[in-house]
Amino acid sequence: MAQPLAEVLTRLRVGNQNFIINFYQQHREHFTHWADLNHQLPAAEAHELLRAVLLEFYDQVADGRLTKLPEDLRAHLYSMAYERIAAGKSAAVLPLAEAGRRQRLLVLFGYLGADCQKVLMYFYFRGYNFEKVAGKMGYANATVARLQKSSCLRTLYELVGRGPAPQASAAAPTDL
Amino acid sequence: MNSAADLRLYLELLERFADGQMTPDEQEQFEERLEQDDELRQAHAAYEQLTADLRWVAGHETLRLRLELLDRRLDQRETAISRMQHQQRHTQNRWVAIVVGVLVLAMAFWIFTRRPAPVPEVTWEQYYQPDPGLSPAETDANLRPLLAESMSQYREGQYAAALRSLRRVPTNNIGQDTLLYYTGLFLLRDGDAAGARTFLRRVSQQPKVPLARKALYHLGMAHWQANQLSEASAVLKQVAADANNPYQQAARKVLQADVLKP
Repeated sequence: MAQPLAEVLTRLRVGNQNFIINFYQQHREHFTHWADLNHQLPAAEAHELLRAVLLEFYDQVADGRLTKLPEDLRAHLYSMAYERIAAGKSAAVLPLAEAGRRQRLLVLFGYLGADCQKVLMYFYFRGYNFEKVAGKMGYANATVARLQKSSCLRTLYELVGRGPAPQASAAAPTDL
Repeated sequence: MNSAADLRLYLELLERFADGQMTPDEQEQFEERLEQDDELRQAHAAYEQLTADLRWVAGHETLRLRLELLDRRLDQRETAISRMQHQQRHTQNRWVAIVVGVLVLAMAFWIFTRRPAPVPEVTWEQYYQPDPGLSPAETDANLRPLLAESMSQYREGQYAAALRSLRRVPTNNIGQDTLLYYTGLFLLRDGDAAGARTFLRRVSQQPKVPLARKALYHLGMAHWQANQLSEASAVLKQVAADANNPYQQAARKVLQADVLKP
């Protein structure tokens, strides 16, 4: 890795995901061979597994669960992948029984419409102002973007208030 | 998370505050109210927690979507590379097939059109055993200078000159048979087979003449030179059958080589 490890963690924590993206681009093929050789995993499943592992790794960093980057990051991530394979976990489904508040919110977030998801991601993760959100989403102006964001947040909050969310795999998201 | 009903009541207000949509006066009033109103304080805390969680969720989802997008792009690139390699292999194979086809056609054309290697032509000169001519001692240059000069020219391969010199030799200096024999011999060597045959035949038809046997051999070779192969063969068979002929071995060699077939 070209970047110093400490710097990688800092960048990830402030939302710069390029390290993860580059890792996936550079190691997808190698990981696919590894998964095929050691676990007879088809290519598409191997890709999905690596993406799930990288997401999990990112969550650990963002949560503060991971405070020190492993010396051999690739070995660490492959080990996480191995654990998932051994446990028979599906990369797509979050285990809700063990899910925390954020994981529950993550599932509920999936029930929002695509536009709502985008608006909230732009505003709460990328930090775009309403004017830029309007530009990205094709809204008439910043006020429309603000009202849209407000509506989406309210919808999400109402979903939270309805109690336990259904399993992500059990029902298809409705376009809320 | 606090109850949904509590937060819903304040949601718009909390958003306006958090998103910087309030005027400075409104903001000040809101902050004062926040210190005094427990419900609002709880709602604010719940809102802060919700948006913090939402930031985490938004980051997670952004990364998931970016990874999926990258995955599709990598798949498309791999497919394109694979298709390109397939096309390259196809083109390469086609060219190899064309080159091989051209080579096969060229080889077939060469095999069918090549001429057999020319068989070296057998010439009479290859089998001809020349007469050494008269030696200087025999010619005696003091007595017969022209004859000596003629023989010398013959040995040097100047057959036309040798023939001219021979014709100038006085007849009293050389026997008639000898003159006929060497005249025929020089003509043969000079390439005049027809003329040579006349002289050599006359000598060969005189059995008592010592040069008759030798003349018969040169007559046979003169026939060969004129491409009269059957005549040459007949004459040389006579020579080969004559144990006293000095050219018996030479004649046998020609016949054994079986080169006189028309």
